Amino acid sequence: MGMKFSEKLKARQLALQKLKDILLFLENEICAMGKPLNKAFEDLVKGNYGGVWTPVFDRSGSILKEQSLDAGSAWKTALEEASATLPLVHDDIELLKDFGDLLGKSDREMQHAVLSMEKEKVSAMELKAKEAAETTGRLYRNLGALLGAAAVILLI
Amino acid sequence: MDKVHQNDDLSRIRNYMPDRIKRVVDRISPEIAPCLEELRINAGMPLVGVFSGFDRFIAEDGSFTSQPETAFYVDREEVEELFYRLCEHSIYAYQDDIARGFLTLKGGYRAGICGKVVYQGQNIKGLKDISSVCIRISRELKGCAEEIFPFIRAGRNDIYNTMVISPPRCGKTTILRDICRIISTGSEKADFAGLRTVIVDERSEIAACYRGVAQNDCGPRTDVLDGCRKSEGIEMVLRGMSPAVIVVDELGTRQDAESIRMAWNAGARIVATAHAYDIGDLRERPGFGFLIDKGGFERYIVLGIQNGIRWIRVTDTYGNQLYHNDQTFGMYDGVFRMHCHGHEVFGEAESQAACASEA
Repeated sequence: MGMKFSEKLKARQLALQKLKDILLFLENEICAMGKPLNKAFEDLVKGNYGGVWTPVFDRSGSILKEQSLDAGSAWKTALEEASATLPLVHDDIELLKDFGDLLGKSDREMQHAVLSMEKEKVSAMELKAKEAAETTGRLYRNLGALLGAAAVILLI
Repeated sequence: MDKVHQNDDLSRIRNYMPDRIKRVVDRISPEIAPCLEELRINAGMPLVGVFSGFDRFIAEDGSFTSQPETAFYVDREEVEELFYRLCEHSIYAYQDDIARGFLTLKGGYRAGICGKVVYQGQNIKGLKDISSVCIRISRELKGCAEEIFPFIRAGRNDIYNTMVISPPRCGKTTILRDICRIISTGSEKADFAGLRTVIVDERSEIAACYRGVAQNDCGPRTDVLDGCRKSEGIEMVLRGMSPAVIVVDELGTRQDAESIRMAWNAGARIVATAHAYDIGDLRERPGFGFLIDKGGFERYIVLGIQNGIRWIRVTDTYGNQLYHNDQTFGMYDGVFRMHCHGHEVFGEAESQAACASEA
């Protein structure tokens, strides 16, 4: 059980790390290639670069393609829908919700700045997640091992 | 003109529209909709539909009126939303088009935009605070140049250098596109084999490329240099594509005229258009004289419109008329009556009643 909790914390850190890679991918697609958001998201999904984030970008891309919502609302909707399957805590989801708000609303130069800012934010989140995985994760692992040992002793 | 097929309608652009405007556009009579040439959407202003040679305000029920107080008014937020939708919520992807003042949409439509211009040094960087959008509904009328093509054919493997002249919105680009299609495809009827053609499509209007794919049929032997200035583009294609025919739209500057001379010197034929009322009007334009004189263009296709009726004339270098035709293609009878009964409100029922009473 302790191992499981510890893995969850590690998965959170890896998910945020993956998001950082995705932002780098998007920076290339948006700022260098000038692809529209729905196409950039589609290529991200098709190229299997999304990892745990695939459902979020897939859904955002579809919403944008249908032109039913703007980029900010499409991202929020997709994030909320996928939040149960993402290995993130509630605060992470809340912090990531405004990512789409400025996406697509300016020229390439500004998009570069928006994506850089987001990368910094995700880096900070990842750092916290890493610390949590190391400290709380170790605690869970040790606690799990201790409880396991106690249970064995009691059974003997 | 029975071969002319109109294969476009408002349904392709309705997805771009904000909900309220979409509802109004959906209510436009399906018989009148194919005659719409432009939709003009201005912040705080009535929605305007432009037909061949005249325009009307559009009311909330989709009827057309000349009284602005009964028209449907568009909000500023709606214009902004429309702009974002036209850009697929990705302004950066269209920033070069925005700086040129228009967006080419899927299906070959073009949206002109106005707002506050943002400069970077001497160059226009983009537009912000978008205040109006003019959606020009492109019409690919396949076959509209078939009747005139025999007059610009110079042999089984050759054509005359041809200039299409008309004032704005008379169908220059539509005729040019179909001429290009016939030149590239060939025509059994006209005993024409088909030639390698390159379009230098500075404003993305002829082929209307959307993400690199031509939205209009320009023929199988056609290459498209999209978004490139004519003077530079002609030089580029002469070097790299060995075209037999170069097609360009809207010659206007001295540099354009010089690049045409360069193409002729390289042995390429030119089919071009220019804004003008007649050949004399074009001759007076600085730098254009040598294009019109002997040794210049050999055929002129002059287009015009009067009382909603389009006419077309083909002449040679010496002004001899080779072909003349009055056409009414593209204008539904009810729309023509709407044009004539200027101050009445016309919906579908009214226009049908007008047709019946006239009959």
